[in-house]
Amino acid sequence: MPDDLAPGEAMSPAISVRNISKTFRRAKAKTGVKAIDDVSFDIKPNTFVSLVGPSGCGKTTMLRMLNGLIHPDSGEILVDGAAPTPGPHMGFVFQSFRLMPWRTIRANVAFTLEVHGVSARECAERADHYLAMVGLRRFAESYPAELSGGMKQRAALARALVGRPRFLLMDEPFANLDAQTREFMQIELAKIWQHHKGVVVLVTHSVDEAVLLSDQIILLNPRPGRVAEILDVDLPHPRYAYDARARPEFAEMRGHLWNRIKDMVANDPESEFFMRDDGASAGKTAGGE
Amino acid sequence: MARARHSGGAAGRRPRIGPRLAEANVALWHAAVFFLFILVWWGLSAAVGRGFMPSPRDTAEAAIRMSSDGSLAEATLQSVYSLMAGYILAAMVAIPAGLVMGGVRILGAVLEPYVDALSSMPRVAFLPLIIVFLGLGYEAKIFMVFIGAVMPIVVNTYAGVLQSDAELIEMARSAGARDVDIFRKIVLPGALPYIMTGLRVGASLALINTVVAELYTAVSGLGGLLSIYGNSFRMAPYFVIVVILALLGVLLMYGVRLLERRVMRWRLHLS
Repeated sequence: MPDDLAPGEAMSPAISVRNISKTFRRAKAKTGVKAIDDVSFDIKPNTFVSLVGPSGCGKTTMLRMLNGLIHPDSGEILVDGAAPTPGPHMGFVFQSFRLMPWRTIRANVAFTLEVHGVSARECAERADHYLAMVGLRRFAESYPAELSGGMKQRAALARALVGRPRFLLMDEPFANLDAQTREFMQIELAKIWQHHKGVVVLVTHSVDEAVLLSDQIILLNPRPGRVAEILDVDLPHPRYAYDARARPEFAEMRGHLWNRIKDMVANDPESEFFMRDDGASAGKTAGGE
Repeated sequence: MARARHSGGAAGRRPRIGPRLAEANVALWHAAVFFLFILVWWGLSAAVGRGFMPSPRDTAEAAIRMSSDGSLAEATLQSVYSLMAGYILAAMVAIPAGLVMGGVRILGAVLEPYVDALSSMPRVAFLPLIIVFLGLGYEAKIFMVFIGAVMPIVVNTYAGVLQSDAELIEMARSAGARDVDIFRKIVLPGALPYIMTGLRVGASLALINTVVAELYTAVSGLGGLLSIYGNSFRMAPYFVIVVILALLGVLLMYGVRLLERRVMRWRLHLS
């Protein structure tokens, strides 16, 4: 991204990440592991962005820094022009649903409001509203152990939405779901986003999912995490209204991303697939651009 | 329970592992086992002689005799008083202590060896000291019960706080929850199963220590009667006391279980 292109007033980004680095210290080890190295990118308002890359590219770390749960060693993150702080304005959806087993689904969803002093009645009303949105209204009184994986993640999504967040951060939210549930949840998420807009940052291993849902895809390199490429997905929204996967642009972008990731993995000495790509696959040609 | 069933109807599906225990069936088996127990007891007393082991009937007759003169009721009340006072006091001290130890990590780490020492040490060893400080009355007995029950509750509460779910804590942080709320709404409910285990272990130790205290300090209560009848080889009344103590144990555990069901209602859905 060229530096001379100063963002104008109207175009000011919702999230601005400037030259951030993060190293994790291993217990008792002298040297740390560099998770993120000099990463910069901007996210415009009302954009759905996916962070994609192989294991070890620091995408989950990135998401936690955007939330303000952890802080970069150097560089700067601005969310709406200020340092990020966790709170209901930033919904976070985790891969492992993280519902409290001792609370009903309604009470789980209301948690976000409850810890900010919202009255019990309003908590319940708003929780029910968002439970209805994710199709779980009649499970409000159930406990998490009684729900399927997909339903648990819906509940977690409702919990993230109940604070009316301007930012929705999702850490591989559908990775623990079976393939079919996953596709339905993607549609669900796209529909919710269509209504609510705001910024969504989705961390995913699935190239397919990233292309299907995002306006923009940020591809990260592994060890240390660096921005490899930023791509715009121009397929019109809402994509659940037509078979987006059948579009040639979809296939092209998916193939391009997949090939780049395959190359990254094959050249990553710490990956279990290091040097496993011997040129027999089609990936070799596309990776060299 | 009723509420849970009702919501189950609304939820439509309620996964369950294995068939639900039919309450009538349990009662029937209870009766059968009790009958068998009486039969074995009766057989044993016939085999070894009633001088060593009274028959169920001798014991029942002794119980009726002891109830009519009020001595049994008085002793039971004395014991229950020491037991409950010591036990409740222990819970009131131990749960906050365990929570603080777990909440303030450095404090927990520093106190850990002392807690371990105190909880593995036979409490009878403290008796002479207790008698010197508190005399032979109720204070000494209650304190003896207290030190019996307090350590398992502390240890389990502490363990419960330490194993709190890091993922849930991160979730709460991302929602912007303050530390107080994280402790109250995540750590504490997560530690509850451990606290209940501590209360259960503490209850049986409290009962044991009630009897020990009554044997070694001013003779009173059920422990006192136990030593009086035991030393004079009056086996029928002696057995009455043993049965009463067993019943007390069962009742105490039942109470703890009721409490457990109340505070961990969500667990009912899993069984």
